[in-house]
Amino acid sequence: MIELRHIGKIYPSSGGDVVALEDISLTIPDGAVFGIIGLSGAGKSTLVRCINLLERPTSGQVLIDGEDLTKVKKKRLLEIRRGIGMIFQNFNLLEQRTVEANVRFPLEIAHVPRAEAKERIANLLDLVGLSEKAKAYPSELSGGQKQRVAIARALALNPKYLLCDEATSALDPNTTTSILQLLKEINQTLGVTIVVITHEMRVVESICTDVAVIDRSRIAEQGKVADVFSFPRSEIAKELIIPNLIRSLQNAGGKKLRLVFNGEEADMPIISALAMACGVAVNILYADTKNIDNKTYGHMVISLPEGETEETVKRFLTQKNVVFKEEI
Amino acid sequence: MQSLLLSKLFGQLGATGFLEGLGITLYHTVISAAFAYLLGLPLGILLCVTDRGGIRPIVWLNKIVGFLVNILRSIPFIILMVALIPAARAIVGTSIGDEAMIFMLVVAATPYVARMVESSVKEVDKGVIEAARAMGTGTFGIICKVLIPEAKPSLIVGAVISTVTIVGYSAMAGTIAGGGLGAIAVTKARTSNAQDVIWLCVALIVILVQVIQEVGMYLAKRLDKRIARNHKNKKIKEKE
Repeated sequence: MIELRHIGKIYPSSGGDVVALEDISLTIPDGAVFGIIGLSGAGKSTLVRCINLLERPTSGQVLIDGEDLTKVKKKRLLEIRRGIGMIFQNFNLLEQRTVEANVRFPLEIAHVPRAEAKERIANLLDLVGLSEKAKAYPSELSGGQKQRVAIARALALNPKYLLCDEATSALDPNTTTSILQLLKEINQTLGVTIVVITHEMRVVESICTDVAVIDRSRIAEQGKVADVFSFPRSEIAKELIIPNLIRSLQNAGGKKLRLVFNGEEADMPIISALAMACGVAVNILYADTKNIDNKTYGHMVISLPEGETEETVKRFLTQKNVVFKEEI
Repeated sequence: MQSLLLSKLFGQLGATGFLEGLGITLYHTVISAAFAYLLGLPLGILLCVTDRGGIRPIVWLNKIVGFLVNILRSIPFIILMVALIPAARAIVGTSIGDEAMIFMLVVAATPYVARMVESSVKEVDKGVIEAARAMGTGTFGIICKVLIPEAKPSLIVGAVISTVTIVGYSAMAGTIAGGGLGAIAVTKARTSNAQDVIWLCVALIVILVQVIQEVGMYLAKRLDKRIARNHKNKKIKEKE
């Protein structure tokens, strides 16, 4: 389990101190895929670097399985880091080493015997689907392939945790999908706890179980992805999750209901059922729903005709276990 | 005809004299470059590693070493050479001959090499260093497994430039302490103003520098996995 307690990070500078992180507390349970989302400059990258102490927080504690990293000796810190894999936006492969030599790097550092290392490298390259590229150099690979090598390298020492710093931000949408798929697989089959730093909503949507929203060096909101996505409370979360919702509401009059889909009533054509059962013509003002894990998530805003139909509609929705909220 | 021209050219010195001079210059250069790298490589890495923002910042040490390097670098070689005569006597036991000359060349070239190495090593991608740190690599591991191998092509280019500089220095050093092409040219110019001898020395030095340059650059390119392979790929693509 990774626990961050009241993490603060201040960079001293001549023009006054720059606060990068302020009182951040997070608990990342084992087995989770934990998303940390925020706009650029919010402090996400600094935060993820505090987890393996690449950045030393100026205040607070970093507990990895109960051990406070801010207090351990340098040698112990290096050992702990070997149990925490990390991948980066720019892949950060050693350009002068072949693919297999890149994957061998952490094994060399940890003095893993040659024969054992060789076997692990073969398995890892197989896992990421790059066995034929073992002798290639990074300059011969595409972005997605480079990230796969980086993932294989990060997993070389069987880490319990994997930190991903904007790991898909430099990739095209298709490649992003395949890398996310791979990460999900690693989480599910190897049981690696994954921390994902991103500014892309779709990354959180597609693989994360938990999410923390960071805004201006602080945590604005955190919880299960389904909860935060259904009922974003903070302004920043609303902005990130349903950017068009607010705009669409401004243009329409009348009674408005926001229906929240959080995976429960996936198969039912709810709007047609509603129209038929209540005999009302509903107008859809906004809809943004996604299929995640074969369940529907998202939001839909409908406007109702004035009058008593409102109560009928609400009763119908309650009956069908659809969560809704009146929007003004 | 040809032998006549050659014998006229080599005139007073004879072909063996020039070849011997070339050999001495080469010997001075190679040995001095080797020693300068033996000292300058660690020094350059130290300058890079201990710098503010380096992997192991030790700012006071960096300042001191940087200052010393700058002092040595700013003294013109011809003056440094004269100044080093007592030091040469104390350390290698003589102020003339090969040993003294190599000593002076090493003293002059080491700070130069250190700055060359520092700038090469500084070019290594910060992200790669960060990745190595994240994998639990210590300072020494990063130096040996990341900084030097990743900077290798640039280090070779630096070595070429340094070696060429040492060839130049060796010609100068030849005038006070030892032999080599520089010494031949300068002595001849002083004593008999034999233009042909001077220009032949110059020609040989030019050829030597060219060879060092070409071989070095070829090696740098050949060993760089970023360029060499890309180049090959391009060729393959062109074929298709």
